[in-house]
Amino acid sequence: MISISPKVLVPGAEPTIEKKLDLTNLTPEQIALDINQLNLFYGKKQALNNISMSIPKGQVTAFIGPSGCGKSTLLRSINRMNDLVDDCHITGEINLHGHNIYDKHVDVADLRRKVGMVFQRPNPFPKTIYENVVYGLRIMGENNRRNLDEAAEQSLRSAALWNEVKDRLHESALGLSGGQQQRLVIARAIAIQPEVLLLDEPTSALDPISTLTIEELINDLKKQFTVVIVTHNMQQAARVSDQTAFMYMGDLIEYSDTNTLFTTPLKKKTEDYITGRYG
Amino acid sequence: MNNWFKSGSPWIWLSAGGVSISLISVLGLLWLIASRGLSYFWPSELYQFDLTDEYGAKTVVIGEIYDREKIPVSQLAHLDLALDPKQEVLERLLIKTGNRELVSLDFRWLLSHNINKTQTPKDLVVVERRTNGNFYGYIDSVVLDGKKVDQNKLPELLSRVDNFQDQIDDLQKSDIGAINYQLERLRLKTRKYELQNELTAQVKAEIDSEVAILKKDYAKLEQELMGYRSAIARDYIVMRAMDGQLVTINFEHILKVTFNNKLNVLEKTALFFSQITAFLIEDPREANTEGGVFPAIFGTVLMVLLMTVIVSPFGVIAAIYLHEYAGKNAFTKLLRIAVINLAGVPSIVYGVFGLGFFVYMVGGSLDQLFYSENLPSPTFGTPGVLWSALTLAILTLPVVIVSTEEGLSRIPSTMRHGSLALGATKAETLWRIILPIASPAIMTGIILAIARAAGEVAPLMLVGVVKMAPNLPLDANFPFLHLDRKFMHLGFHIYDVGFQSPNVEAARPLVFATALLLVTIIVALNMTAVSIRNKLRERYKMLEH
Repeated sequence: MISISPKVLVPGAEPTIEKKLDLTNLTPEQIALDINQLNLFYGKKQALNNISMSIPKGQVTAFIGPSGCGKSTLLRSINRMNDLVDDCHITGEINLHGHNIYDKHVDVADLRRKVGMVFQRPNPFPKTIYENVVYGLRIMGENNRRNLDEAAEQSLRSAALWNEVKDRLHESALGLSGGQQQRLVIARAIAIQPEVLLLDEPTSALDPISTLTIEELINDLKKQFTVVIVTHNMQQAARVSDQTAFMYMGDLIEYSDTNTLFTTPLKKKTEDYITGRYG
Repeated sequence: MNNWFKSGSPWIWLSAGGVSISLISVLGLLWLIASRGLSYFWPSELYQFDLTDEYGAKTVVIGEIYDREKIPVSQLAHLDLALDPKQEVLERLLIKTGNRELVSLDFRWLLSHNINKTQTPKDLVVVERRTNGNFYGYIDSVVLDGKKVDQNKLPELLSRVDNFQDQIDDLQKSDIGAINYQLERLRLKTRKYELQNELTAQVKAEIDSEVAILKKDYAKLEQELMGYRSAIARDYIVMRAMDGQLVTINFEHILKVTFNNKLNVLEKTALFFSQITAFLIEDPREANTEGGVFPAIFGTVLMVLLMTVIVSPFGVIAAIYLHEYAGKNAFTKLLRIAVINLAGVPSIVYGVFGLGFFVYMVGGSLDQLFYSENLPSPTFGTPGVLWSALTLAILTLPVVIVSTEEGLSRIPSTMRHGSLALGATKAETLWRIILPIASPAIMTGIILAIARAAGEVAPLMLVGVVKMAPNLPLDANFPFLHLDRKFMHLGFHIYDVGFQSPNVEAARPLVFATALLLVTIIVALNMTAVSIRNKLRERYKMLEH
């Protein structure tokens, strides 16, 4: 069983980091992603306005904000999923290891292997549980049965799903419950050992119990990966994240460590939002 | 009343009525075809009618009753019949009398008014023959080696003849056929060397020696064949026809002798099924009006399978391009409309296109490039099974494209995104995720294509179907599948037997039987495809959120 520590349950609880990072002044080693003057347009409409921020390594960073504020768009820019939108146009840069991911020479598939993503609704492929987990590895050309088995077990354990599915690895993934499917999708994403894991409202389609399981999981995941999560649920952001960015109408309004943002927001808009005056 | 309309009940009744009418017409059609077609195989009673004709002459007619109809007396006024003035209609019977060597027509109408006496004598037999149709009459004597023998020995003798006949067929078809095929190949080889000016004395000697060996084999087989022939040719039966004439029928012409009137229901049933089997597995005889339809079944199925193999990859590739790679612009839209409209082009137009493009252009060029030794007689530059399959593939291409595209667009985008986010390229996503999920939709397209192609006849008449094909397109001679050969097709068989045969009356039940068979085969092909699709559906079932 998954134990849920009461600490995570209480909104606005003590942040789990001991040492607060100075987000405006991180050393290159501390930075996982550096977003620099990013503008994004859908056709003529601008969806992101000049966003600049640094996302620290090995921590959970949350994007919050009202619907349509651009938080998901920003998240999708990080692994270039916005490329799939026909008339999407981007200026500015996002640096991963000091290299701009929007550079002409970047192999998008390779980038997406380094920056994994989990979507709002669980989207397991209509294959077996096992094949779902090893899909990314197979794409990378790994066909050694032993390696695949090992990776599958490790990923499923990391995603806190192993005990539930170890006896039916070769049954269809579509037979799992919603929460299990979402953890399977996370296992699938971490099986290829990405550096950054993007979670796009990963619990919005799940029941409260599954949500708690996933939140607990996120806490574990940051030991291995840099996690960026988009959520419309402020309590969730407060529970799971180390840093929180508040966005509004395509602008990054405020970005600081979670505790500060929720207790002493600097901007009026942030305060209005977290006290529930709009959104 | 108003409420009744508002409740929607009238529409439910209307749609239910529509469904019922369609169902009833389909079942009715099937019932009609099945009853008419299957009754052809049921051994019918043999009758002997004693008649007095209009001129007072007394005759005897022997045969099967094929049909009865009532005709108004006024039509028969010229016959000057002594009738009851109140009587308005007369019944007349259509009798199959067979015995073509005695009377030129197989069928004859009898007025029931003229019939004095109807009997079903137990001794009456029907002799089914390889040529000249049935013979109806009494067995006068059975002659074996010039000596008369007991009639009871007939079944035993006939089964011996059957054995010989099987061996003869075997020899003719496989052994002698194979030698002929090899001889033809050697002739072509010689011709090829000649064309290339490489026919040296050595090569010629080699080929000649091979030909000599084959010819020796041929002579041996021919001798064997003659042996079998003479073994059955010396024995015969003497039959007495309806007018008392004696007719000799040689054993080699006899297929079957049955005493229809002596058979009980069980024996009749057994005969019924053996006739159906014969219909399914035998070759046609007598300008297709008798015998089986095996080559036509084989041709139909092979052509449809070939068509499926050709149309599926092309249709799927085209659909993938249109849906995944083509830019979303006016040109793509135009292309899509063109594809959909292709489905509405009359099939005969495809036939003309197939003849002009595939047969004459492509086939003609192939001949010049690869089969020049055979010219001026064409190899691929003539209608054949490959061109038929290709023509039908083009005809059914729109169906496959449209349903595949539909399937592709039904796949939730989260599937694609899921795969792409794991570092798969678009092609990998297509190959590993999208196509498997779309496979049931692709199968639907293929099912529709099969249903359309299997029933199509008009274009095939131009690009490969013939009334009588001497060889199947698949045999034991290398390269086994002969795509250049012409083939027989059940649909064309129906047309040919029903409307082109010299003996339409005799062929009518055969038309129904063939139609039933064609429907059965199309249903069987479809069911196979449907069951494959259902399996795929089960496998790639999406959880509908």
